[in-house]
Amino acid sequence: MKKKEGLEYLKMGRFARFWYSIWMFICSMPGRIVNLAKKIWTAIKKAGIWIYSEVKDIIMTFVHGDWKTRTSYLIMGFGNIARGQVLRGILFLLFEAAFIFFMIFSGAHWLSLFGTLGKTEQGRHYDEINDVWVTSEGDNSFKILLYGILTLIFCACLIYTWRLNIKQNKIGQQLEADGKKLKSGKDDLRSLVDEQFHKTLLALPLTGILMFTVLPIIFMILVAFTSYDGVNNGFSKLFTWIGLDNFNALLTLADSSGNSISYTFGEVLTWTLIWAFFATFTNYFLGMLVALAINKKGIRLKKLWRGILVLTMAIPQFISLLYISHMFDKNGMVNNVLVNLGWITDRINFWENGMTARILVILINVWVGIPYLMLMITGVLMNIPQDLYESAKIDGANVFQQYQKITLPYVLFVTGPYLLTSFTSNINNFNVIYLLTDSVRANAKLTVNGQAVKDTDLLITWLFNLTTGATADYKLACAIGILIFIVIAIISLIVYNILPSNKNEEDFS
Amino acid sequence: MATVKLTNVKKIYDNNVVAVHDFNLDIADKEFIVFVGPSGCGKSTTLRMVAGLEEITAGTIEIDGKVVNDLQPKDRDIAMVFQNYALYPHLTVYENIAFSLRLKHMKEDEIYNRVTSAAETLGITEYLLRKPRALSGGQRQRVAIGRAMVRDSKVFLMDEPLSNLDAKLRNQMRAEIILLRKKINSTFIYVTHDQTEAMTLGDRIVVMKDGYIMQVGTPTEVFEMPANLFVAEFIGAPKMNILDTTLEKRDGKYYVEAYGAELPIDDDKGAALAEKGIETQEIILGVRPEHIQLSHAGDPHSFRCTIRVNEMMGSEYHIHALTESNQEIIVRTPTMDLTREEREQLEHGNEIYVTFKGKVMHFFDKETQKNLLV
Amino acid sequence: MSIEQMKTKSRVKKLVREKQKERRQKQHIGLKTSRIVSNTIIYIILVVIMVVWLVPFFFLLMDSFKCDIAADGETRVTWQSDTIIPKKFGFDNYVDLFTKTKFPRWFINTTLVGLACAVLQTTMILLMSYALSRLRFKGRKFLMNFMLILGMFPGFLSMILLYKLLSDWGLTQDNSIFGLILVYCASSGMGYYISKGFFDTIPRSLDEAARVDGATRAQVFSKVILPLSKPILIYTVLTAFMAPWGDFMFASYIAHTRDVGKNVAVGLRDLISTASGMADHYTWFCAGGVIVAIPITLLFMFLQKYYVEGVTGGAVKG
Repeated sequence: MKKKEGLEYLKMGRFARFWYSIWMFICSMPGRIVNLAKKIWTAIKKAGIWIYSEVKDIIMTFVHGDWKTRTSYLIMGFGNIARGQVLRGILFLLFEAAFIFFMIFSGAHWLSLFGTLGKTEQGRHYDEINDVWVTSEGDNSFKILLYGILTLIFCACLIYTWRLNIKQNKIGQQLEADGKKLKSGKDDLRSLVDEQFHKTLLALPLTGILMFTVLPIIFMILVAFTSYDGVNNGFSKLFTWIGLDNFNALLTLADSSGNSISYTFGEVLTWTLIWAFFATFTNYFLGMLVALAINKKGIRLKKLWRGILVLTMAIPQFISLLYISHMFDKNGMVNNVLVNLGWITDRINFWENGMTARILVILINVWVGIPYLMLMITGVLMNIPQDLYESAKIDGANVFQQYQKITLPYVLFVTGPYLLTSFTSNINNFNVIYLLTDSVRANAKLTVNGQAVKDTDLLITWLFNLTTGATADYKLACAIGILIFIVIAIISLIVYNILPSNKNEEDFS
Repeated sequence: MATVKLTNVKKIYDNNVVAVHDFNLDIADKEFIVFVGPSGCGKSTTLRMVAGLEEITAGTIEIDGKVVNDLQPKDRDIAMVFQNYALYPHLTVYENIAFSLRLKHMKEDEIYNRVTSAAETLGITEYLLRKPRALSGGQRQRVAIGRAMVRDSKVFLMDEPLSNLDAKLRNQMRAEIILLRKKINSTFIYVTHDQTEAMTLGDRIVVMKDGYIMQVGTPTEVFEMPANLFVAEFIGAPKMNILDTTLEKRDGKYYVEAYGAELPIDDDKGAALAEKGIETQEIILGVRPEHIQLSHAGDPHSFRCTIRVNEMMGSEYHIHALTESNQEIIVRTPTMDLTREEREQLEHGNEIYVTFKGKVMHFFDKETQKNLLV
Repeated sequence: MSIEQMKTKSRVKKLVREKQKERRQKQHIGLKTSRIVSNTIIYIILVVIMVVWLVPFFFLLMDSFKCDIAADGETRVTWQSDTIIPKKFGFDNYVDLFTKTKFPRWFINTTLVGLACAVLQTTMILLMSYALSRLRFKGRKFLMNFMLILGMFPGFLSMILLYKLLSDWGLTQDNSIFGLILVYCASSGMGYYISKGFFDTIPRSLDEAARVDGATRAQVFSKVILPLSKPILIYTVLTAFMAPWGDFMFASYIAHTRDVGKNVAVGLRDLISTASGMADHYTWFCAGGVIVAIPITLLFMFLQKYYVEGVTGGAVKG
């Protein structure tokens, strides 16, 4: 197929046009990949140029600097104080003092052990005088890893602050030379409610995110390269760096105790993706249907229908999920009713069979998800300009054509980003799977190292089980966590590039 | 109560788009300056730089002799009226107007006096306790002006304040702004894309295009002596007729060839051209529609054209006609002077003869598009 | 909308009306019947949907009142019996739940966590979304992308580290509500999307007008934007308060099998997580479920308007 010039392709028939657009998309792939590579290359180049210019600036500032500036290379904040910016100067100085103090008294210790994660095992020796067994303190790998990371972060902060200190000296020296006034400490404080208001606003949330998300994620990534688990827990038995062994265990067919982790991983990953796909799209389209039905012209009691569905969202999920899960038990309500009605004689064990369990989970998830989607899509439907429908009616479109040509494209366009986030959050949908499949039996084939895995387990529930209990396998969980991240990142990247509504954020405002 | 001085002001956005190139302007105390130009010409950006809402990439802005580049808007002592009014929806009209005064911790009775007197001036006293959403567009605009008025600030900025109003209301508000201006002793900077507003309001007009100043001058100057082709076309409605042609100098007299007729240029204008040392050359000729007169077949300086559309505007006709050389021209002629027969002649497809005098012509250089006489 | 557009719009409307009239006259009867048929079908579907969505809750309610005695005349039937309507109504399950389990404690735990979350999370989200939506500063885009990427990591894994830290500080097990509050709230700034979408819709010229009027950026926030944010504030408070009632993953990890540290979800689920538990406590669980559902449903009913606004607005904003 050849590329058509201008509007020529519009002459083609419907199917030809469809195939043409797919063909063009495939054709554009090499170009896209080249573009991506180019982008990465320019990013690297930019980074290089940035480092070069930073280093050059640091050197040049020193060369052209006066004694105040030069002293600040060693004593941070000296220049600021000398030029009358006492508040800033003292903050710099305090930071440097704190850093030196910390490094001497503990940072250096943690860093020295960071490479091995501890050498001295916890020892037990017999104390003959007191006639008891004494446990001698050994290294603690967990703490070494944690404080090692913190020390490294602290070092990075110091480099950044040092650079900031030099920049300030440069500006200060320049202003002094021009005979202009420098900002006083009062000005600095005042700017925190005005020009620098974002710093005031973001200080608290970002500290929280740094402490409770960034730090644990760095820790998690590093744990994936160690031998940390329930046995090698860091204090009674040290753990250490083992390189890519965990990933090897996950990805190669290396076999332990008859079942391989790689097999389990593959199965669970496949099911996770299938689940996320169905959970997202069944909810989406059925939710849209319900929304369309409720919002159809001439349907009365719209508020009542909507209200009932919305209210079901108020009831905490764990109640409804656990209850429904047990409704489908072998002795549960559903079987009771079916037997009483005489439709079946043998009770069906829905959760016994992996296949029925999976289907049931997806069906029940529809029950869980539809109210929310109905609500959201109702909102989108109300925003569709009515004149679109009016002109479509004049053009002679029937109800289905209106749906196909106006409603669907519009809703898809607006909710595109939602579909993506919904897909990724379904990959991590712990509650629905964990609470629903309480009574599902573990699949013997998938059991690794005595850790039971069910047919319905997602990566996230598998992770949860891996990290609880005595045989907690943290290292493997972390490796899986990284793989989950990679899967989600790749899917997001692809979808994000295809989505039509991936437009400039400012367009909305 | 203040002068405003812009020196080499430049604005480059983050995406490397240059919005304003090198803006130099001295605004006198109590002057009413209008920035006018098509959308995207940088007029609003310049105003917003004066207000402090947009960072200044290069150059300086002084208010009352003090450089304000690094000052926050609140410290510049300016008042501003926005295109979409920007009223605080959660506050009543009274609170909206009093907002800035309360931020200054002014005494409540002083605030009361100021707000009520401003409301009286603008005729919005009865709405003082309403919320903005209960007001019509025109009333909202008055509140916005009132909010700026009570501040007694040095400079009064208006960013297309009338463009969200319908035509009738716009005319009315325009007149009111002229009255208002007499009551407020401030320097005004007014941004608009509407040349009528610019002409009627401004002491001086700044015509802008693509980030450059095209011309600064009083309305009369800008209208009668447009500095270049752009200003000539932008100011005046309907738009000036433009023709590529030759200016000929023969025996010390100038002639211009237009639409198949050779038109002589009268001595005054000729002298001015001669003074500039202009010889025979290719030029762009501009004639305003109102300066073209209906003529008759016998007139040697007239040319023939065919009417395409005749718009009846009430007091005048706008005749869109096609010359023999297939160029479109617009003729604006008062209805009053025409007899009934003449009027009936002015219909689609009919032929008419028109002419114009040498003194109304504008000559522009073909290359630079600059007015030859400026 | 320009006058032109309005004109065309009214013209279009007129045309539509005429055309519809014409059509109606032509096939008056046929159209009416077909509409009645299609509407009837939709009504039937809607009724079925409502039944399907309400039945589990109805069953739950019935189960919670079941005080049936088994055939031997002594033991209470606590598992779903084969009748839907209880043979004997009673509040025994509720009484047992309050006297024989730690349910009151779980309920208080969850309420406290919910209240704390309502305050802290709302604050965090408000600060974050306001800064990202209405202020322009260096690194803003980077920050948003960075948080997007952070969100792709399975958040649960952070518990490996956090549990150790929290237990070192004594904030797990018996004191797990404090640990839970920290875990829920500390990085809740990352959930800024919907709130930012709301702030994005407030015209920027309001900020500018206020700044010209003499307000600092902090005053713009407190005097102009905050008073306008009531709907999104209520939405955020509501969702923040409700989330802890349903969370199982973090709560069970932090409570770590200690009864007094559980929230209602973990507590009630642990009641029936074993086979014997199922047999003995199932109706208790149902009673617990009803008690938990009532206050939240009531709250939701009153604030439904804001919730609906948040969800529908958030969807459009992405």
